[in-house]
Amino acid sequence: MRHPLRAFVLGIALALTPACAALQLGETQIENPMSAARTLDQRAYALLNAYAAVIEEATDIVRDPSAPLAFKRALGQAERVATPAAETLQVAVTAYVRARSDFEAASGASQPAIERAAAALTIAAQRLSQAIEAARAPVSELEGLVRARRG
Amino acid sequence: MLNLIMQLQMLLAALSMFLPLVPSESRIRAAEIIDVVAKALAAGNAIGANLDDLAAKLASIRAEVEAMAAAGREVSAEELESAMTRVRSASAAFRAALETAEAGAG
Repeated sequence: MRHPLRAFVLGIALALTPACAALQLGETQIENPMSAARTLDQRAYALLNAYAAVIEEATDIVRDPSAPLAFKRALGQAERVATPAAETLQVAVTAYVRARSDFEAASGASQPAIERAAAALTIAAQRLSQAIEAARAPVSELEGLVRARRG
Repeated sequence: MLNLIMQLQMLLAALSMFLPLVPSESRIRAAEIIDVVAKALAAGNAIGANLDDLAAKLASIRAEVEAMAAAGREVSAEELESAMTRVRSASAAFRAALETAEAGAG
């Protein structure tokens, strides 16, 4: 062996590499706020706020001069689809909150009034559930693009 | 990503300690290569910090929703309006930034 010291040092470096790779220092974990929600209104609230955070991040990418214009346009296209879905979600969750409040207020009213409030709440809950599902895909698409650029 | 970059930086630092063992005719070239890789990793670290920013925001939202769920608290109309105001404001800033980027490219 011509260079035993170099071979020894290289051996140590190679032996240490798996140990370095096993370290979990500074690991970035992306949380999913929606998975913490238990009710429809909490899910909607989590989705709206998470979407806002994603657009804020997308704005930073768009302001970055080194980011390719084609990528910025792809972000723009995803945002143009996701924001109207968030608007629809907000309308649905507002209607749901109002229907829930009406139902609670009707507790001391006549039976037909309670039934009407309950039916309205059921419809509002169904619409909210559909709006959440409809908003999830476009929001996830924008989030995926942001993560692809950042991660 | 930050984890990977940190591990590579540690490995790079360890390798740079062995530079004196490299044959003198290749030492400068090896140092240059290590320097270029170190710069690339530093740039990656800055990008990773932005990803951390998003992770921190999402973690904060999750903590808030967890607290709501644990307390069995309903979301108020004001909280929903505030969330939507944040979306609208972020969307307006995003579209303005995109317009600026398009104008800069054209």
